Amino acid sequence: MIEVKNIKKKFGRKQVLKGVSFTAKKGEITCLIGVNGVGKTTILKAIMGLTPYYGGEILINGKRINKTAYEKITFIPDAFIMPSSMKISEAMAFMKDFYAGWNEERARELLEFFRLREEDRIANLSKGNVAKVNLLLGLALDADFVLMDEPFSGIDIFTREQIAEVFTSHLIEDRGVIITTHEINDIEHLIDKAVLLDEGVVVKEFAVEEIREREGKSVVDVMREVYRP
Amino acid sequence: MNKYLKLLNFELNRFFKIYLVLIVLTVVLQMTAVIVECRQYLKQANEMIYGMNASKEQFLADYGQMSFVHIVTNGWFMWSIAICAVTLIIYVFFIWYRDWFARNTFAYRLLTLPTDRINVYLAKATAIFLMVLGLISLQLILFPVEQGIFRAMIPDDFRQDLSTADIITFSKYLTVLFPGTLIEFVARYGAGLMVVLVLFTAILFERCYRFRGIFFGAGYCALAAGIFLSPILIEMFTEKVYLYPIERFFAEVALGLFVSGMSIFISRFLLNYKIRV
Amino acid sequence: MTVNFNNREPVYVQIIRYFKEQIAKGVFEPGQEIPSRRELAHWLKVNPNTVQRAYKEMENQGLIFTEGNLPSRVTRDEKILRSVREELIMEAVHAFVSTVQSINVPVEEAVALVREFYGKTGEKEGDRNDRSEKY
Repeated sequence: MIEVKNIKKKFGRKQVLKGVSFTAKKGEITCLIGVNGVGKTTILKAIMGLTPYYGGEILINGKRINKTAYEKITFIPDAFIMPSSMKISEAMAFMKDFYAGWNEERARELLEFFRLREEDRIANLSKGNVAKVNLLLGLALDADFVLMDEPFSGIDIFTREQIAEVFTSHLIEDRGVIITTHEINDIEHLIDKAVLLDEGVVVKEFAVEEIREREGKSVVDVMREVYRP
Repeated sequence: MNKYLKLLNFELNRFFKIYLVLIVLTVVLQMTAVIVECRQYLKQANEMIYGMNASKEQFLADYGQMSFVHIVTNGWFMWSIAICAVTLIIYVFFIWYRDWFARNTFAYRLLTLPTDRINVYLAKATAIFLMVLGLISLQLILFPVEQGIFRAMIPDDFRQDLSTADIITFSKYLTVLFPGTLIEFVARYGAGLMVVLVLFTAILFERCYRFRGIFFGAGYCALAAGIFLSPILIEMFTEKVYLYPIERFFAEVALGLFVSGMSIFISRFLLNYKIRV
Repeated sequence: MTVNFNNREPVYVQIIRYFKEQIAKGVFEPGQEIPSRRELAHWLKVNPNTVQRAYKEMENQGLIFTEGNLPSRVTRDEKILRSVREELIMEAVHAFVSTVQSINVPVEEAVALVREFYGKTGEKEGDRNDRSEKY
């Protein structure tokens, strides 16, 4: 389980996170929802130790992040994170070299599923394909948690469908997933939990099926209530 | 240790193409220097002896024999060394900034590898150090080769053969890169490594604190310099000499190790708690 | 599989309804093995946890049963199968009658219209031998 407890963050003089708390369980897909700039990416980076925060703590399976945790938690940001001069095969070799939890079989499966060729150089790929390589490199690791930042942004609809398919496949298996998005429509039926962010805090954290059952509302309905646009 | 070596291997591979270019450039420029200098000397000699009917002795009295020092102080030659030096100095900074500002932010990957982040820092420093040593070695290999060409081009009478050691001493500037004794060599290149570690720390200050970080980094460099040079500075200000040369040497070694250790310690803290991608 | 789920009703409830429809249609035969929760999640494009919940609920309702570690199967219990069929029929009837009553259509007219519509579309709707649609 990933526990985010009351974390705060300033960018210059702007207080971006004013005390954010939520949890994400293994085996569930948790979605952070909020407008652009509310701090979703910052939260994911904070969990990964890629940006400092203060005032609270973040625990991954009860412990603060350390080097062994990086085998258990993988981050797939909204940017590509391998040298673009690399070929896909070289990127995969790199991952295999550094991560004990690299699953070569699964990587090959994803290569096929996404219809990528490993001799291709990343610099020459379209944006959609770069996103797929990103996913491939992240998902082929045997990590307990996968953090995805805006996996559907700027991607054509077919790639989006492919990526959505990954969520219901054994590739996600029993992992914990935290994804951020501002486009909830595509994936409402895929997520377990929604965390609505506004003005630097969590305004509502709820299990999606529960809200449907108890109140007959969709996530978008709840968003309308909470954000009062 | 394993991951550190893998990272080192990775860093060396990344630079490989540029390194190859530097090697080729060095060879080409230095060969050019040899040939150009020899030809020019021979041209002069021919002009005097055949053109103006002077005797060989007269020419040698006026112009003297040619030694390898001429070649080593030739523009082409010095440029080859300068280009390599400047490239590596730029790379001290580029080796970090490329991970943030290249088309893909590799820093995300480097900082979330299942290894101590300090290994990234150490691998980069080691890579630069090895690359410098590599170029030094290249030069040491090139010397005899170039001297061979020199000997082939200039006849015995017109040539002054010097030992490599003398060539270095007479060239003056080469003594910086090739100090006389092993101890001096180790001390000097060790100090160079320390400078790299200090610069890396300054770079990390900038990466952690961005604009303010530039000032922190500069301040840190000043602090490191101050500590390292303290024996000399103290003697300068008090105008008294406190240490024998041998004592000063050991003091510098100790201070050098201290500054290096301090840089690594601070960098480790910055990487683990303050770094931003 | 093109099942469209709405986002206001619990997905697991919709899955159960879908299952009942398939059972009533005969697409899922009594005793037939049902897909694993992961397979079904993948085919329906929904969260596997909701499929899990649906299966649990269906097990409670007796729609499916699991023997040991074997894959779950559709029940063979005639009573339950009949009640599923009835339930779906009653739901449709309920919806139809409510709508039609609300615009004041007398029952004879309603029945006549139903018969006419049945005649037009033929017995195709009731053809239990149509197995071309697997899952």
